Amino acid sequence: MKKPARLTFFFAAVLAAFVLLLAETVVVKVKTTGVRRDPKFTSAILASIKAGEPLERLEAQSGWIKVKTKAGVVGWIHSTAVEARKVNLLAMDKTMKTQASAGEVALAAKGFNKQVEDKYRAGNAAADFAAVDALEKVLPTAAEIEAFMKQGKLGEYGGAR
Amino acid sequence: MSARTKAFAAAALAATLALAGCQAIKQSAADIIASTGKVSKEDAQSLVKTAEVLRSTFAEITEEEEYYIGRATAALILSRYKPYRNEALSAYVNVMGTALAYSSDRPETYGGYHFLVLDTDEVNAMAAPGGFVFVTKGLVRRCADEETLAAILAHEIGHVAERHGLQSIKKSRLIDAFKVLGSEASRQFNSEELAKVTGIFEGVLGDVVETLVERGYDRKFEYEADKLALAFAVRTGYSPGGLAEFLTGMEERKPSGPAAGWFKTHPSPADRLARVKIETAALGAVPAKLDVRTARFAEAVKPLR
Repeated sequence: MKKPARLTFFFAAVLAAFVLLLAETVVVKVKTTGVRRDPKFTSAILASIKAGEPLERLEAQSGWIKVKTKAGVVGWIHSTAVEARKVNLLAMDKTMKTQASAGEVALAAKGFNKQVEDKYRAGNAAADFAAVDALEKVLPTAAEIEAFMKQGKLGEYGGAR
Repeated sequence: MSARTKAFAAAALAATLALAGCQAIKQSAADIIASTGKVSKEDAQSLVKTAEVLRSTFAEITEEEEYYIGRATAALILSRYKPYRNEALSAYVNVMGTALAYSSDRPETYGGYHFLVLDTDEVNAMAAPGGFVFVTKGLVRRCADEETLAAILAHEIGHVAERHGLQSIKKSRLIDAFKVLGSEASRQFNSEELAKVTGIFEGVLGDVVETLVERGYDRKFEYEADKLALAFAVRTGYSPGGLAEFLTGMEERKPSGPAAGWFKTHPSPADRLARVKIETAALGAVPAKLDVRTARFAEAVKPLR
């Protein structure tokens, strides 16, 4: 009785490890976005999430994915804000130790980044990055968009066609 | 062993075999390369590693890279044109643009969509990669109503959604970029790499800005953006008639001299209009234009009149 029980525990542990590895995970690829209560942009934001954060994919529905965050929040995110975690078959041995932090792996990629922008700015004073920073700060709220749609009879507030 | 234990064991075994198989593939790839005798075993391993990280086309530019290309492109556009400062108009354009982007095929980009009216009488609209959308004061003045401005914003969102700006980057430049960018996984560049990458970055910006401001996109991209503009506008709840109305107005006021600004960077309005009419007819039942929207548009653009 004792031995099969231990065996069962062993296999269960191995299986659990693989289930964790193979569970469907997506990674946030935009700087910041929200996990929303319903699958629409004007819905309440339950959690704010950042680039590189892994999310458990629960179900999908017309462009939206139901996800669970690391903190356990369940809600909806638009499919264009995430990418499937890249499991590189050729690098499976490396993957074993990096799976737990897929987000960090994504963030570790080199590219045109802040460092390159800073270097470029140093040599191109005419490029008006301050104006771009100001532009990025203009962010309409979900409430403003909803009010605009409602007043203009747009989207779900529109009449028959 | 109970049935449950057996099931566990079978699943665990299957998973182990799957992993073992992957490792074998990697090793055999390296072995095949090494077995040619032309490269050492170590070099063969690193060749396999390099193949994993090298990118080659614009489609492989990451969202974050697109964002930095877009920011610098926007900074260069804003070195030529100043923002038109009117908070109410800016809020109106941003709320409308964001609502349209939400109904587009790509509502989320790395840094999100941002809309700005440029303080110039030139008639033009352009979008930097990642979602920085610009419309000139001169162009807004030519819009008759909200449907028309919505059509223009939706057209620019179409360029962003399809990453048309990134497709103006020369292939040779991308190959150079990816050679440096893909060399190893580290976020920081050393000074030599940084100088090289920044040089390539400048070249990339040159390609994109020249296309947006001087040369214009390939006309197939303009037709595609028109088609998307109709779709995004209708999905948001607008009458698709705004695009045809705008193009008709542009055709009527076509300058007689050499083409400049919008007329230089876009195919002839008559040519686009013919296609837009066919595509609009194919949409079927669509929302109607509403007075409530025309009235708030008139209010928002009052300072420009």
